[in-house]
Amino acid sequence: MKRQKRECSEPSNPFDVLSEEIIFLVLDLLEQNPLDKKAFSLVCKSIYATESKHRKTLRPLRQEFLPAILSRYPYVSHLDLTLCARVSDASLSSISNACPSNLRSIDFSQSRLLSSSGLLGLAVNCKNLVEINLSNGTELKDSAMAAIAEARNLEKLWLARCKSITDMGVGCVAVGCKKLKLLSLKWCLGVGDLGVGLVAVKCKEIRCLDLSYLPITNKCLPSILNLQYLEDLVLEGCFGIDDDSLGGLKHRCKSLKSLDMSSCQNISHSGLSSLISGTEGLQQLTLAYGSPVTAAFADGLKKLSMLQSIKLDGSLITCDGLKSIADWCISLRELSLSKCPGVTDEGLSSVLTKRRDLRKLDITCCRKITDASIAYIANLCNSLTSLKMESCTLISREAFVLIGQQCHSLEELDLTDNEIDDEGLKSISRCSKLSTLKLGICLNITDEGLIHVGRTCSKLKELDLYRSVGITDLGILEVARGCRDLEMINVAYCKEITDASLLLLSKCSHLRTFESRGCPLISSFGLTAIAVGCKQLTKLDIKKCHNIDDNGMLQLAHFSQNLRQINLSYSSVTDVGLLSLASISCLQNITILHLKGLTPNGLAAALLACRGLTKVKLQSAFKWSLPQPIFEHLEARGCIFQWRDKVLQAELDPKCWKLKLEDTEVE
Amino acid sequence: MDLNNRLSGNELQKNLSGQPGFGNFNTQHPQKWEDPSIIDYSMRIEPPFRGFNQVKVGQDGLVNELRPTNKIQEWDPSAMLSSFSFLEQKIHQLRDLVHLIVGRRGQVLGRPDELVTQQQQLITADLTSIIVQLISTAGSLLPYVKSTHSAAPPSMGQFGQLGGAVFPSIPGLNGGIQLQNTSGSKVSNQPNQNDVSANCGSEQNHNNEEHDLKEEEDAEEGENLPPGSYEILQPEKEEILAPHTHFCTICGKGFKRDANLRMHMRGHGDEYKTPAALAKPHKESSSEPTLIKRYSCPCTGCKRNKDHKKFQPLKTILCVKNHYKRTHCDKSYTCSRCNTKRFSVVADLKTHEKHCGKDKWLCSCGTTFSRKDKLFGHIALFQGHTPAIASEETKAQVGPFERREGNQVTNKVGSMNFNFSPNASSESGVQNIMNVKGNIDDPTTYFSPLNFDNLGGFNDFPRPPFDDSESSFGFLLPGSCNYNQKSAADDSNNLA
Repeated sequence: MKRQKRECSEPSNPFDVLSEEIIFLVLDLLEQNPLDKKAFSLVCKSIYATESKHRKTLRPLRQEFLPAILSRYPYVSHLDLTLCARVSDASLSSISNACPSNLRSIDFSQSRLLSSSGLLGLAVNCKNLVEINLSNGTELKDSAMAAIAEARNLEKLWLARCKSITDMGVGCVAVGCKKLKLLSLKWCLGVGDLGVGLVAVKCKEIRCLDLSYLPITNKCLPSILNLQYLEDLVLEGCFGIDDDSLGGLKHRCKSLKSLDMSSCQNISHSGLSSLISGTEGLQQLTLAYGSPVTAAFADGLKKLSMLQSIKLDGSLITCDGLKSIADWCISLRELSLSKCPGVTDEGLSSVLTKRRDLRKLDITCCRKITDASIAYIANLCNSLTSLKMESCTLISREAFVLIGQQCHSLEELDLTDNEIDDEGLKSISRCSKLSTLKLGICLNITDEGLIHVGRTCSKLKELDLYRSVGITDLGILEVARGCRDLEMINVAYCKEITDASLLLLSKCSHLRTFESRGCPLISSFGLTAIAVGCKQLTKLDIKKCHNIDDNGMLQLAHFSQNLRQINLSYSSVTDVGLLSLASISCLQNITILHLKGLTPNGLAAALLACRGLTKVKLQSAFKWSLPQPIFEHLEARGCIFQWRDKVLQAELDPKCWKLKLEDTEVE
Repeated sequence: MDLNNRLSGNELQKNLSGQPGFGNFNTQHPQKWEDPSIIDYSMRIEPPFRGFNQVKVGQDGLVNELRPTNKIQEWDPSAMLSSFSFLEQKIHQLRDLVHLIVGRRGQVLGRPDELVTQQQQLITADLTSIIVQLISTAGSLLPYVKSTHSAAPPSMGQFGQLGGAVFPSIPGLNGGIQLQNTSGSKVSNQPNQNDVSANCGSEQNHNNEEHDLKEEEDAEEGENLPPGSYEILQPEKEEILAPHTHFCTICGKGFKRDANLRMHMRGHGDEYKTPAALAKPHKESSSEPTLIKRYSCPCTGCKRNKDHKKFQPLKTILCVKNHYKRTHCDKSYTCSRCNTKRFSVVADLKTHEKHCGKDKWLCSCGTTFSRKDKLFGHIALFQGHTPAIASEETKAQVGPFERREGNQVTNKVGSMNFNFSPNASSESGVQNIMNVKGNIDDPTTYFSPLNFDNLGGFNDFPRPPFDDSESSFGFLLPGSCNYNQKSAADDSNNLA
């Protein structure tokens, strides 16, 4: 007794002097790696208790732990269950019992097998619930929607791909959740005019409405456009809406800021102009894969002085159309013309000369444009931050030098499949703000150019060198040295890359995604370095790295506790290595094709041991060599199997591969 | 009307020795067209339709003109011709047989009844096959009718007329308009056929009438006749509730329709068989302008009563009847399916029973709807109402419900067969049946029990139509024609 008293009176624990506020501040700084907070909370009891109060967001790995973690973290407001493939009624009731007052947001978007009674308990008990994401709930029925309708304070509801719900279910939600501000019904194929119309009648607060691919017609449009606060309307792929129905619309939605009518094949410029004629405040317009963009079409945009972003991907565009866009859209900041046949130097230059404030330009696969356009871009649009120009095949290597000389604000540059060479790369390395650089299939670049990029582009976060075969360890060395913020690097099929590169890249502690597909020189040694150095690694692709074996897996399993996705196909991993991966508790997605050392028993053991798996890609041969109940058990756990029947393929020479690619394009 | 035709049939059977001559058998039709309700109806409908109607009201030979205007071209006339010749042949055979029986009856009066019943059965079978052939022939026309008129929405009356137009084109089947054109002798040879076709035609028209009237009463609100521009008639309550309005001066028997009375009168002597006596009493009104007649409800305080401040007159006597029953009488007819809905007009009950149980769109307030859009309209309108989702347990009970649907389908099949018969048969229909059944006792009407029973069964719609009748009609499923009828009924409901 005495002893205890003394302990109480003179705190022996130095951390006790830290106030709660200070610990909160420390915890705020530990956001990057989820494991850091865990470690920090284990310092002493008081910090443990403080950490429990601090945490607002939870992403549990397994539903089994829910009761325990919810009692530890009573102040959680956002619960992300995307890692739990299956959420049972018991878990739902533990959620609704544990944190009824604080929980504001819950995400079930990857969880299947939710029951309506469980949802009902949640909706009734958690009165403060504001956001629910039920996307991909393909099994959810109208009764589940009736349960959700009990959450009277709901403001945001995502129901994408809930294919089984009908107008009746949506009607319940519309009546019950009157405060809805965001509703996504994308791919809810059972929902038609009546359900959507009722939502528009009952939920007057709606700001964002996603109706993509719904079988709706003009009948529900008037009430939608009557929504007073509607800002964001997505009507992508609504084939039931056509010009005739739009022509008679009297309602004008003045509050609309963003409209997406992609893939609406039945709408031409006349329908569009009648829809947007009253929406002066429109800022974003997406019309990808729509009807041809002509001058008449662009004239419909006349009054939209606020329009900042136009996306016309995949639509046919005439020169006049582009000219009219240049004339009418005075606030244009973002223009996306990817895969638009008909984009020529003349059309593009008319936009570029008039709209010099352009920030983002996407001319992916515009195969008619030449150096002339690039010259305009470089000379006129100096404030460009994003330029995507994958596969602009007519552009010569000199043009890229120009881009590097002029566009210093570039943050994102996609030069995949272009003629750029080391000179161009050297010039582009002047864009010191670059954070994303894609140099895939650039066969003319070598280490010489990449070294410049590594030296100057210190903010680089993403580097794609897919099939840029001229790159070796030397180039990667500079990148790894200079770009310490690197989060993603792809060196797939750069055959010269060895473990040396990996050793250097392991210094990039933020690395999350590492792809080294088809690099035969990489071994377990290099992989170990990555595993040890890059604690945040979540995605790893080591397909066709024949030298990676069980040793690499053992190290990976030990160090990379954040790994979520791995592709092991064609490597030398055997049963042991695969089984060791089971200790990575958040591993969800694995692809295992053509592993020579893998036996059915080993596979079965590994699959059963990896408890968090949601998606497994396997050779179809295993389908028959393993007992069916195993698959049934795993599927009941929430795992999906994808069966592949690929034959072993010899690797092609990169140049030969590109030629083959071009051949198929010509065909 | 049914009754009259049937009576005529009976009479024909009485006169089966081959007595020719009730050529002017069809008087009810002109009467029907001039029936005020129909005329009103045609006035309300768009002009082309009225024109059509007027053409229709015209005299002989117009049928031939009618057909081109109707464009009933797509059916195969040769197929129809062949079926007619088959019918003719069959009828001749039957006629000979009946001749034989009649001839023999005089000789072998004391004979045991077995032979007689055998003969009856034989004749009955033959007649059934004739009827079947006849109806299927008529039914083969209807899809074309439908296709040619799919564009005209309120096709109820139109359909009835087309029915009328179709029938005359069938020689020997002229219960309809064209009877004057055909030879009396031929008609007299085919009593039962006449019976059927007349029944069909008349019932259908009767049906139309009911519907028209129902619409009328509601649609009338728009009519704005200046007071004084019409003559107000106010029938007494007794008059309204009386089952019959026309009475035979000789035997006192009552009828709902004048035409039926005239048909009946023929039985009282040859002087009632002249064309003049059988013809519809001609309306002289066209020559001298008379005031339009409007009706007032005898209930004081009613909006339809002439003393009411905002008096709204009723257009026809039938309107008065229906209005009076609906508004001022007990709802004595209860739906046998749901046992909750009650009606004072039989037609309303029949209409309801047709849809009763089909309402599967449920609101949280307990109201059911047969259509989803109606439910959503209701929910949009009322605060706090929400779609009621069947829970898992109730879903398990979907099975029996489905079976019930199946039943309804068979019922529909029933209605299909006699889609010439009323959607909602009135009391008169019921009474006709009774009369008919009374007639069965008459030894001379042996051979129609089957026929009449069938029709009776059909009339009485909610009863399973085939339970007690031979299923000789069961396989005649002019589905399209049923559809047409049904959609027309829907349309009229929409109008109402």
